Amino acid sequence: MTRTPYWAAFTDGIRRTMAAPAELAVRIGFFAVILVVFSSLWRAATQANGGVIQGYGYRELLWYVIAAEGCVIATKPRLIEEIGDDIGNGDIAIDMLRPVSVVSFRMAAEMGEAVVRLVCALSLGAVFGLLSVSAPPSLEGLLAALPAALLAVGCNLTMQYSFAAAAFWVEDAKSTWFLYQKLIFLLGGMLLPLELLPESLAGIARLLPFWTTAYVPARLLSGHAEWQLLIVQLGWLIVLVAAALAAFRAGEKRLVVTGG
Amino acid sequence: MRIILSTFKNSLIEAWTNRRSFWLQVSIMLANDLVWVLFWILFFERVSTVRGWDRSRVLLLFAILTTVAGISLGLLANARKIGQLSAGGELDAALALPIHPLAFLLVRRVDTGLLGDLFFGPILFVLAGEPTLERTAIFIFGSLCGAAVLVGFLVAIGALTLFIGGTGEQADLGFQTILILASYPVDVFGGATKLLLFTSVPAAFISGLPTRLVDDWQWTTAAALLTAALVFASLGVRLFNLGLHRYSSGARWTRA
Repeated sequence: MTRTPYWAAFTDGIRRTMAAPAELAVRIGFFAVILVVFSSLWRAATQANGGVIQGYGYRELLWYVIAAEGCVIATKPRLIEEIGDDIGNGDIAIDMLRPVSVVSFRMAAEMGEAVVRLVCALSLGAVFGLLSVSAPPSLEGLLAALPAALLAVGCNLTMQYSFAAAAFWVEDAKSTWFLYQKLIFLLGGMLLPLELLPESLAGIARLLPFWTTAYVPARLLSGHAEWQLLIVQLGWLIVLVAAALAAFRAGEKRLVVTGG
Repeated sequence: MRIILSTFKNSLIEAWTNRRSFWLQVSIMLANDLVWVLFWILFFERVSTVRGWDRSRVLLLFAILTTVAGISLGLLANARKIGQLSAGGELDAALALPIHPLAFLLVRRVDTGLLGDLFFGPILFVLAGEPTLERTAIFIFGSLCGAAVLVGFLVAIGALTLFIGGTGEQADLGFQTILILASYPVDVFGGATKLLLFTSVPAAFISGLPTRLVDDWQWTTAAALLTAALVFASLGVRLFNLGLHRYSSGARWTRA
C-alpha cells in the first residue's frame, strides 16, 4: 500500500517525537508544574469567592485548565519563530523542491508531533484531575472535548502558519510569535475562561479564532456540553487552512533566496 | 575584575549595536509584561483577595520578578545556558582565560529582549508599588538577593549536566519551573509545594519574600533572604567548579 506524502509526514512527526523522550519529558514535566500552579491558584480563588466564580467551581476550573493548557502545550511554543527563520534564511526553498504543498506537508508533520504531546498531556491531566477532584463534571462534555482537543491543535497549527507567513514580507517574525502567544493567553481563554473577562472583551474574543485553540475544549471538559462549539471550531479550521495556504502561495511567489 | 568589567561592557555594546533590533525586542518584552499585568487586573476584578494578596500586592510581586529576570536573564544571559554550553563542549574559550570561567561566562552575553524586563520592573514599581525612599531601598535589596538566588539556582542545575550527561534538559525544566512558580503569590500554594518553593526550587526567595519585605520589613526575613542568596550563589559556583573536572572539550572554539 502506498502512503500519501502527507500521511507519511504525519506518521514521521509521531515517530520523531517518540524518538526524543527527554524533550517530551521536559514538556510534559512543565505541564505538570502548570497544573500544580493553576490548581493552587484556582483553589485559593474559589475558596475566597464562596466556592464559585462566574459559574465555575473549583472542579470545573481544574478540568478547564487541564484542557486549555494541555491543548496549547501540544504545539511547539516557538513554531512561528522557527517557520519565520526558515523563510528568512531561505531553508524553506528546500521544501519547495518537493512536489507537494509546502505548508500542508509541514502542517501534517507538526500535527503528528502535536498529537503525541496532546495524548501525553491529557493523560497526565486526567490522572491529576481524578486525584485532585474527581471525574470531569459531565460525560457528554468529556465526549465532546476529545474531538475538540484535536480540532484545537489543528486550529492552533494552521493559525501559527498564517501568522508565520508574515515573514515573507517582514524581516523579523519574532514579534508575530510574541503577539500570537499573548492573543492565545487572553483572547484564547488559556489563562482565564472567557466568562471571567469583561463582557466587551469576551465579545471580541468570540468573534476571533483564538478561542478555538484553548477555550472551546476547556469549556466542554468543564462540564458544558455545548456541541455547537465543535461546529464553530470546524468552520474556523477550514477558514484558517485556506488562509495559511493562500498566504504561503502568495509568499512563495516573492521569495528570493541568495546563495546555495 | 578589570577583565570582567571589560567583557561586560563589550556584551552591552554588542547588544546595543543594532539599535532597531534592540528597541524592537525591548518593546516586545514590555508588551509581554503588560499582558501579564492585564491578566492580574482582570483576575482581581473577579476575585477581590486571595489569601491576603490583592491586586496591588501582586503587581509589586510582578515588579520584583521582572527586575530579577532582567538582571539574571537579561544582563547575565548565559546563566541559563550553562547546561547547554557544557553539553556541547563549548567552554574551551572560557577555560583559557586568566579569570574564573564562570564569571566570564556570566558576563559574556546580554539578552536584549530580557532587558525589557529590567526597564519594566522598576517602572511598574514606581507606578504601582507606592515607592518611598525606604520601600525603594528594600525593593533594590530584594531584587538583588532574588537575582543571586535565581542565577545560583540556574548555574547549579545547568552544571548538573556535567555530572549526569544529556543536553541540559533538566536545566530547561528547572528554569521554566522556577519562573512560573515565582510568578504567583507564594501563599496560594500549600503543603509539599510550599516546602519545595523554599528548598529545591527556591522560587519563594525570588519574588515572594522580597515582596513581603517591601510591605513589612522584618530583620529575620531579610536575614533569611540574604542567607538564601549566599547559599544558592555558593551552590552554583561549587557545582560548576566540581563539574569542570568532568568536562570534555567539544573542540569547538566558540564565543560562548
